[in-house]
Amino acid sequence: MNTVLMDNRPAQTQSAPAIAIRNLDFWYGENHALRGISLDFPTRQVTGMIGPSGCGKSTLLRILNRMYDLYPGQRAMGEVLFDGRNILSPGIDVNVLRSRIGMVFQKPTPFPMSIYDNIAFGVRLHERLSRTEMDQRVENVLRRVALWGEVKDRLNASAAALSGGQQQRLCIARTIATRPEIILLDEPTSALDPISTARIEELLDELKQEFSIAIVTHNLQQAARCADRVAFFYMGELVEVDTADKMFTAPHEKRTQDYITGRFG
Amino acid sequence: MMEAPSTTAARGADVSGRNAGGNAGDIAFGMLARLAGWSILLVMAGIIIVLVSGGWQAFSTFGPGFITSRAWNPISHNFGAATSIFGTLITTVVALVFAVPFAFGVAFWLVEMAPPALARVIETAVQLLAAVPSIIFGMWGFFIVVPFMAHYVEPVATRYLGHVPGIGLLFRGAPYGTGLLTGGLILAIMVTPFICSVMADVFVSIPAVLKESAFGLGATRWEVMRKVVLPWSRQAVMGGIMLGTGRALGETMAVTFVIGNSNRLGWSLFAPGNTIASLIALEFPESSAGSLKLSALLALGAILMVISFITLACSRMFLQRGIKN
Repeated sequence: MNTVLMDNRPAQTQSAPAIAIRNLDFWYGENHALRGISLDFPTRQVTGMIGPSGCGKSTLLRILNRMYDLYPGQRAMGEVLFDGRNILSPGIDVNVLRSRIGMVFQKPTPFPMSIYDNIAFGVRLHERLSRTEMDQRVENVLRRVALWGEVKDRLNASAAALSGGQQQRLCIARTIATRPEIILLDEPTSALDPISTARIEELLDELKQEFSIAIVTHNLQQAARCADRVAFFYMGELVEVDTADKMFTAPHEKRTQDYITGRFG
Repeated sequence: MMEAPSTTAARGADVSGRNAGGNAGDIAFGMLARLAGWSILLVMAGIIIVLVSGGWQAFSTFGPGFITSRAWNPISHNFGAATSIFGTLITTVVALVFAVPFAFGVAFWLVEMAPPALARVIETAVQLLAAVPSIIFGMWGFFIVVPFMAHYVEPVATRYLGHVPGIGLLFRGAPYGTGLLTGGLILAIMVTPFICSVMADVFVSIPAVLKESAFGLGATRWEVMRKVVLPWSRQAVMGGIMLGTGRALGETMAVTFVIGNSNRLGWSLFAPGNTIASLIALEFPESSAGSLKLSALLALGAILMVISFITLACSRMFLQRGIKN
């Protein structure tokens, strides 16, 4: 498992990783859900996380923005280095952390407010913008997720009226509106039809110019299409991590081989 | 070959026999259930008929002026509903002003912040509070709350709020302890459990991912509550408040103990007053059958029922819309 930490390839030595996880353990009460995870998320790349249900990949994602904090009995040990600091340490301001590490969920979760306010909501929490600046921010992020043309005439309409695919793009727009450095996506297309899925995947390709992306997916083709590097989790352990090409053509571990060829999962 | 038809016949007889017995039971049970259902309508109709026909004498004597008249004079046989309607509405408003934020605070703390074990204890306590008989609140109010109000709350409120333009009028007057404010406060304690449990139910029912999405943008608990949870559950929360309002409007015993029971109408919240329910409770035993006074009390009952009915209808409408969302 130490091979995981050795980054010899030029692509990964260009810059420090956006997030570096070292010896991370996680518990849901008594349940030891993650064991000794060490993993780097390279800057401005898409890191895919795959594995059967319950393997801990979503759990890992929820550690990166301290979402587990909301629930008593859940605790993490180890180091998650982001911007030179261990985000698991008590002195971290989780509200600021979450504005710098955004998250998109499995199902679209528009807030019960207008399209405009869905985006302005997160921005207002952290910045004071004038009306014009806010208008610009909203337009800018809606353009980036290719939603502007579809909603520009009804920004004050309820976000609930949008289609599932539009809602999910709105959620991504809302996430990037607070200008995070990292975006976490937890199976973002599993509730969407193939066309909406394709649009989100295109969008990821574009967003990685600016953001570092971690995506959990059950869809191996999606991991192959979108991710630069893929990490395979099994029973709370990181089995192996490599470039997407290598993972899907010549994995080192037998368990990875078995999973990607559909022998279990 | 010979056995088969006879078995079928025997079975057929069996089945019809069991059905016959079952049918009689079914019919009897069905009749009873139907009777029980219809009897509710019958009871409702009976109450309305008694109130309207009993109050008819008062309504026809005083006309629409019954509702706007402040009089209540058994000697000159001059009765009006304005004072007690005013007292009913004011105590209810005072109750809501205190109960809604209080219930919200308890519900918010229970759902969002309290350690689960403690939350269960408090939740049970809230339910027990709802089960305390109103006469207990009345006695407790009379012996504990009234002196407390008279000695501490009302003099202090007069000193600091009595000179504020506008609302100052509400806080002037002799600190009797009994009065509209005290009545409203007791009501607030009594309706808080109802409002609180509806609020806690709707706050729990909000999808976790919706809250997590807001937390994920860096919102604090309070921001999540105010911007996401409350808008999402607005209708159901309104329904819960209306439910509490309905209870506050009709509450009798506790209010009768602490409101001072005086037929006057003024700005001061410290002044003694009455409510429809407290007035009926006090005056009913002293009204002779067939008297205009009794008729006036029944007419007051009819008015209270109309007010409560409207409130309940609003509550149901809000709750239903809340559930649909």
